[in-house]
Amino acid sequence: MRILRAIIITLLLLPPAQALAYDVLVLQSLREKGYDEAVKGVRRECRASMRTVVLSDYAEADLTRIIREEHPKLVIAVGDRAVEAAETVRGTPVLYMMALNPKPRQNVTGVGMLLDPTRYLNVFNNLGSKRVGVVYDPARSGAYLKRAQTAARRSGIDLVVREVRAPKETPAMLESLRGKVDAVWMLPDLTAVSPASTEAYFLFSQGEGVPVVTFADVYLSMGGAVALGIDRFDIGRQIGEMAQSVLDGTPVEEISPQSPRRVLTKSNDGVLRRLKAMIGTGGP
Amino acid sequence: MRKTWRFFRYRNSFRFRLYFIFTGTIALLTAAFASFYVMTEINGYRSTLEREGRLLATILAQNARLPLFAENQEALSLLAAATARYPSVLFVSISNTDGRIITSLGNHKKIEKGGIEMSVPVTSPGPELSPESVLLGHKQVDAERVIGRVHLQLDTSGARERLNQLVVASLAIALLFWIVVSLLCYQILKRVTSSFNLLLAGIEDIGSGKLSARVELEGNDELDRAANAINAMAASLELRELENLSLQEELLKAMKLEVQEEKKRVMARLIHTNKMTSLGLLLSSMAHEINNPNASIRFSGHNIAKIWTDVVPLLDGILREEGEFYLGGVPYQTARDALAQNAVNIVENSERIARVVQGLRDYGVGDGSKARPNMEINATVSAALSVLACQMKQDVQLKTSLGTDIPVINGNQQQIEQVLINLILNAMQALPDGRGEVFLTTRYDSAAAEVVVEVQDTGTGISPDMIDRLFEPFSSTKLDKGGSGLGLYISQYIVAERGGRLQLSSQPGKGTLARVVLPVEQETPHLGEA
Repeated sequence: MRILRAIIITLLLLPPAQALAYDVLVLQSLREKGYDEAVKGVRRECRASMRTVVLSDYAEADLTRIIREEHPKLVIAVGDRAVEAAETVRGTPVLYMMALNPKPRQNVTGVGMLLDPTRYLNVFNNLGSKRVGVVYDPARSGAYLKRAQTAARRSGIDLVVREVRAPKETPAMLESLRGKVDAVWMLPDLTAVSPASTEAYFLFSQGEGVPVVTFADVYLSMGGAVALGIDRFDIGRQIGEMAQSVLDGTPVEEISPQSPRRVLTKSNDGVLRRLKAMIGTGGP
Repeated sequence: MRKTWRFFRYRNSFRFRLYFIFTGTIALLTAAFASFYVMTEINGYRSTLEREGRLLATILAQNARLPLFAENQEALSLLAAATARYPSVLFVSISNTDGRIITSLGNHKKIEKGGIEMSVPVTSPGPELSPESVLLGHKQVDAERVIGRVHLQLDTSGARERLNQLVVASLAIALLFWIVVSLLCYQILKRVTSSFNLLLAGIEDIGSGKLSARVELEGNDELDRAANAINAMAASLELRELENLSLQEELLKAMKLEVQEEKKRVMARLIHTNKMTSLGLLLSSMAHEINNPNASIRFSGHNIAKIWTDVVPLLDGILREEGEFYLGGVPYQTARDALAQNAVNIVENSERIARVVQGLRDYGVGDGSKARPNMEINATVSAALSVLACQMKQDVQLKTSLGTDIPVINGNQQQIEQVLINLILNAMQALPDGRGEVFLTTRYDSAAAEVVVEVQDTGTGISPDMIDRLFEPFSSTKLDKGGSGLGLYISQYIVAERGGRLQLSSQPGKGTLARVVLPVEQETPHLGEA
């Protein structure tokens, strides 16, 4: 009888013991469809064992203790909140994805949500726009804009930039672009593009007769001309490949941060017709 | 006074009442429709004004989204001024979520009762449109965030002016409509009720007794069918009236005939009664004329007998001495007994004559109303038979069986005699061809303390339906033979008056039994008797 009881207890304790033995700790900011898609992409490319911790499920997750006790070989942070939480991780490589403003840090790399500026610049070239207005918050998108300006100079496009520090400044900054631009680049900047100010972009587009190139297809229905969207599953796959590479022994420092490699381009033909502009649609 | 009378006459008129009801109903309906129309129009105008105000406020709120978000007061003032240019807008203001008015135009006064105020929220898209949410693939929902309010005050003075115009126009149209429809109603009612008037006039003529009058309506509608029915009824009544008149005449004739017949019967009875009275007087006179010589005859008979009694010893001596001799051609010894017998016969027959005459006299003249307490029934029967002696025919065999020890009764001998004579005469007359037997029996029923006299014949009998009517006055099977129909009626009256009863039982072909039952009064013991 004692033997049987010991066997039962052992069997009950075995699965948790097995679960604790994994290679990759996935820190997910919250239970979100977009994050889930990305995580699926990771699992698609990386066959390593994983444990997923959703931070929103805990009042305060003790990430340091988890890593100390469970010794994952790699941490994948999904979303800005997870990236921020992963800043406490020392000694374990961290890969990030689905984060708008990740800060460059040692032992950390990943795939951002902002497309390579050249993708946008190609679209502007196709539209024939040489003066492109951009409204941005230096604190959020300063680095990205520098990259964009560098690439723009190479492409012969003049970026007319306006800085904003608060969302309510956006309409006025857009007003200041009247007559000075051929197109407007709508960045995924939380200050420059707020729910209340979104409309201002498209009113400006309508008033000035210039197309707005944006980062998500939902804006096409509001008056956007072209949208360059990201593929969340493919971003996951990118991270999966990175993770597999790290697990295979490649140092994280040797892997530079990447932009999403796959672009979903969509256009509002009605707007384009009205603006008498044509754009060649194509894949990444 | 004349006007009042005329009004009451019209008020009772079917046409006037219909016209009054129609015009009243039309007036009510017109007023209701006019009120409904005015209310609907006013509500519609107010609703339009509200819609216009809401539309203006919504447009202003839509246009003010970005300026309000950017706190661009200049742009908001321009938008408010553009809205305030609408004539119906009295006041316009735009405020933020804290309630602070960013801009306003017009005089904001306390709104009057029924005035219109509009307040529309200024909204901006929800957080689903933030870049982060968009990149994460959040679906767009209609959730919006309120960032301020647009407030409009609308002028409703136009509605009041419109209401006044509408009321005046509606009243005028309603009045005109009512007048036109009332005139049309009058003409229609006049045409429709003319048939009623004709029908009514015809009915009044018929009702007043002029049954030959007819309602002159031609057609096949309800009124015409009613008129035809009334005409048919009048014709039927007229026919019945004629039949009634004819029947009345026939009835009068029949009554006259019946009265004449009755008069004849009464006269016949009066004559009969008169005859009987005369017969009584005649009997009385006859009795007087007969009694005198009869008394002389009886006296002579007595004398003859007395004298013969005295003469016989003398003549017996002569016979002994001289031998046989003759008297009146008859040997003495024969004549001796024959003469004595003749003298006795003379007296007896004379006495008989006296009794018969006395009986006739008592029957015709005597006082029949007094009852005697010691009436002997057998003596009464003998007296009746003596009266009827001359009526007896040789073919009728009257057999009497008089009982013995029959107590005397309280009664009037003459009346009971009359009863018995009636019964015996009826029995004799019932015999076919006057031949047959009549049985007369007297007896005493001690158990019932009644004296019974029965007269039975062997005649033709009486049919059952007739026997019950024989006690009715003037009911007789021999009216054609001079019967008065009063015999049994009077007899029953007499017997019943004495506390008795008269019973008839008969079988057709086997004769009739008449039974007179008279009570015997029990002697009440006198005080002092043992």
